[in-house]
Amino acid sequence: MFKQLSVAFLLAVSSLHVQSAALMGFEDSYMLMTETGEYNQEVMFNYAPSIHHAFGVEVMRMSPKGMRATTMTGINYTGLIQRWNLPSAQANVWFMGSVGEARGLHHGFSYSPSVQFDYETTRLYFLAKMRMLRAPGMNNDMAAVQGGFSFYEADFDETQPWFVLEAKAIKNFNPSLQVTPALRLINKNYFLELGITNPFNKSERAPRLNLMFTY
Amino acid sequence: MKNILIILCCLLASPIVSAATSIKAEVNGMVCAFCAKGIEKKLNAMPEGQGAFVDLKRRIVVLELKPQQNVSLDAFTQVIKEAGYAVDKVENVEQSIAEIKANIKASMKGQ
Repeated sequence: MFKQLSVAFLLAVSSLHVQSAALMGFEDSYMLMTETGEYNQEVMFNYAPSIHHAFGVEVMRMSPKGMRATTMTGINYTGLIQRWNLPSAQANVWFMGSVGEARGLHHGFSYSPSVQFDYETTRLYFLAKMRMLRAPGMNNDMAAVQGGFSFYEADFDETQPWFVLEAKAIKNFNPSLQVTPALRLINKNYFLELGITNPFNKSERAPRLNLMFTY
Repeated sequence: MKNILIILCCLLASPIVSAATSIKAEVNGMVCAFCAKGIEKKLNAMPEGQGAFVDLKRRIVVLELKPQQNVSLDAFTQVIKEAGYAVDKVENVEQSIAEIKANIKASMKGQ
C-alpha cells in the first residue's frame, strides 16, 4: 500500500503542472464545490468576507465499497494561513475544519480538520493535503497529492484545459488507495473536472465529477 | 506678439496636470482565473475607474480612469494587496485599455 502510494505520489509530482487550488474565492465571494463519485460525495458552500477567511456548510458522504455509507453534515471554516506571491507563481498553506453530525454506518459528533499546501503557476499545479475525518467508531483520515499541467496558456476569460492526477489514501476504507486521472476545465469563475478513479482496476473503476463555482 | 508670449509663459508656468489615462501594474502571484476575477472585482468597484483589464499571461493589471479622475499609485497598489497579491511594478500610462490590448495583439503578431 505504501509502495503504491509512493508510486502514485511520484507520478503526480513528475506530472507537475495543473490548476486552481484555492479553497475559497476572493473577498466578498461565494464558492460552491461539489464532488460526485462512487466512493465520495461532497457539497460545500462558503462565503469569504475577506481573503483570509471563509465560513460555510458542507455535506459529505463516504461510501466504502460493500459497506453502508456515512453522511456527515456540518459547518466549516477555511483559513489562509500563509501565501507566497512569487513572480510567476503562487503558494499557499490553508487550514480547513468542519464539525457536525454523522449518520449512517457511524452516528454522532463528527469533525474534520485538514491542512493543505499548494503551489501553482499558469501552467503547473501541485497540491498536498492531510485531512482527519472522524466520528464515533469512524477514522477515515486521508492524505492526498495532486499534480497537473495545462495544455496551453489561456487568457483570463478563455477556457483552459488541465490534466490532473490525484492519489488519495484513506484509512479503514475500501478502496483505501484512489488514483484519479482527470480532465479539468477552468474558466473565469468555474471549473469542471471529469475523472476516473482507479481506471486500471476493473472492480474499483468509477467516474468522478467535480464542480466549483465562484461568484 | 507680446501678448502671445505672455499667454504662453502663463500656460507653461501654470500647474497643468494631465491625469493619467490608466494605471498599469505587474502583479506577482496572479496565476489563476479565480485570482484574476478577485482583482477585477476590486478594480471595478473603484469609482474613479471606468474599466479594468487583467492579463494572466503577462501578469499585468490595468485600471482605466474616468476623465478628470486620478488614483495615486500607492492607493492602487494597496487595492491589489488587499485582493491578496503583490505589486512588482506600477506606473501611470497614457493609454486606454483598448490601446493596451491592441499593443499586446500587435506584439503577439510580431512574435
